[in-house]
This record gives sequence, C-alpha cells and structure tokens, in this order.
Amino acid sequence: MHEFDHIKSLWQSHSPEPGISAEEMLKQAKLEVNAIRRKSLLNIAGMLISLAAISTLLLTYDFKSWTAMLGVGIILLTVAIYTLLLYREHAILSKQDFTINPSSFIERLKEYQFSRYQLYTRLYWFYPMAISAGMILYFMETFERMEPWTQLAIIVFSFCWMVFCATYLRKAFLKREKERLELLIEKFERISAQID
Amino acid sequence: MDQKDLLFKQIFDKNSKKIFHLCYGYTGDADAANDLLQETFLKVWQNLDKFREKSLISTWIYRIAVNTCLTWLRSEKRQAKDELTDHIIENRIEEYTEKNEQVALLYQSIAKLEEHDRLIITMVLDELPYAEIAEISGISEGNLRVKIHRIKQKLTELYNHHARI
Repeated sequence: MHEFDHIKSLWQSHSPEPGISAEEMLKQAKLEVNAIRRKSLLNIAGMLISLAAISTLLLTYDFKSWTAMLGVGIILLTVAIYTLLLYREHAILSKQDFTINPSSFIERLKEYQFSRYQLYTRLYWFYPMAISAGMILYFMETFERMEPWTQLAIIVFSFCWMVFCATYLRKAFLKREKERLELLIEKFERISAQID
Repeated sequence: MDQKDLLFKQIFDKNSKKIFHLCYGYTGDADAANDLLQETFLKVWQNLDKFREKSLISTWIYRIAVNTCLTWLRSEKRQAKDELTDHIIENRIEEYTEKNEQVALLYQSIAKLEEHDRLIITMVLDELPYAEIAEISGISEGNLRVKIHRIKQKLTELYNHHARI
C-alpha cells in the first residue's frame, strides 16, 4: 500500500520538459496566418504578371482590327479589376496582427472568408464571361491567319480550360480554402474565448 | 527585443515548466500538453498589459491554464480518458524501469479522476498554497480543503488499485 506522500514524491521526481521556447511559441502562432498572407500575395503577383503581359501585347502588337483591340482591352480591364479585388482581400488580412487585438483579428478573418466566398461564387461568373468575350473579339482578327484545325484546337482548348476552372478547380479551391479558414477561425476563437 | 517581449520571456522561463506539468498531468500526453502550454502563454502575451497585479502573476497564469485545459477537452471532443491513458502508457514510456512504471501508473490514475479534480490535484502535487488553488479554481478555501481530502483519497485508491493489477 502506498500513501499520498509517495504519489507526491513520484510526481515531483518526474518533471517533463516543455518542447517549446517563448520565441518559438509566438513564431508558430503567427505561421499559419503568414502562410495565408503569402498565398494571397502570390495570387496577386500572378495576376500582376498577367496584367503586364497583356498590357505589353496591347502596346507593342500592331492590331489590324478594332475587335482585337477591344478584346484585349476587355481582358486587360477584367484582370485589373480582379487584381484590385484580390488586393482588397489581402489588405483585410495584412492590416492587423492577431497578437495585438485577437477579437478584431477574428472578425477580419471572417470578413476575409466571406469576401473570398463571394469572389469564387457570385463574382466569379463575371470573370470567365468577360475573358471569353475578350478572347472571342481577339480571335476574330488572329484566326484569319490560322489554319482551320488550329482555330478549332484553340477554341476547344480554351473552352475546356474555362469549364475545368469554373467547375472542378473552383469548387476544390473553394472547399479547401473554406476548411482551412474555418479551422483557423476556430483555433483563434478557442484561444480568445478562454481569456478572462 | 522590446520591454514587453523581455518581460514575457522572463515570465515564460519562470512558469512554463510548472504549467507544462499541469497540462501534462491533465492530458497525459506531451504533444497535447505542448499545445495547451502554447495556447496558455499566447493568451498571457496578449493580455500582459491588462494584468493589474491584483493577484500573483503565477496565479493568473494558472487560472488561464486551467481554463485552457477545460475548454480544450470540451471543444476538441478528445478520446475517452481511458483510451488516451492506454495510448500514453504504450507510447511514452520507452524504457522499462520500476520508476517509469510507477510514473505511468500515476498518470493513469490521475486520468481516472474528474476533469476539475485532475487539475486541482496536480496543483496540490506541485505544492501550491491552498489559498492560491482556491483563487485559481474559484472555490472557497473551506470547500477546497474538503475536496482536496477526497481527491487525495480517491487518487491513492486508484494508484494502489492499478499497482496491484
């Protein structure tokens, strides 16, 4: 038979070491948010590269017809609008640090999640429609110089790519992003809810 | 490093080991205890400016840790404590010695206690003054003494029962 004093001495003889330091701890907490911020920045960078490429095409290529000019112009405007929308979303996240004001930061995360949801649902359809309209107008001039089979291949490829992006890719991205943000919001809410 | 970071580092270095042991006693798992330690000290860091020194800083940190542990178990809907303890016994004790076996039995016995009792007894085992435990757990000192007496008996019974098997 053991007494309580034996249990106490056993407890005190076993001193497990924490596996984390003060610096590591804060770094880890900020890591997940930084990953989302980085991804959002990469998204914007990709759009800016597209914007630069289309602008260069518009400025340097000698278009013969107004339809091609209008087509490229529509694509350029659409990409510019969506780049601005992405930047607005990025600003929601980058304005604040979780460790400074947790509850306000969680509100911003929710705002970001809703904004992303809108961008990939209601607002998304404007994007492929505008790009398609721009491409049709652009192809009216460029197709004149191409073989019929090349024209067909470009149309089929463009159509398939748009359908793929609008269905499978969009839904998969939306689902993954929703899950990731929900987990993050839940984690931060759990942390904040326990503060006295 | 600014003043607040330096202060936090001092507080962390002074208290983290005890808080980790509390979380370890509560969960019986080093990874989960590390998660809880991280959440506790993140809250400490965020609220350091709000701490008004009405109580000891260690009491304040313990209270945050206790709340963190209790919320963690409810919100995460963790495995039943028996399963968890078996898992710990299987995975955490690498080397067989009599002392390791006794330590494993101790954690197994603590895991059989009620959630609040587990936290109270780990503070008793760490020799925190009763007044401080009462403040942390929100129980009057009189009630706490009765409660501690009962938990001590229960834990000793559980430990002896496990030791006999």
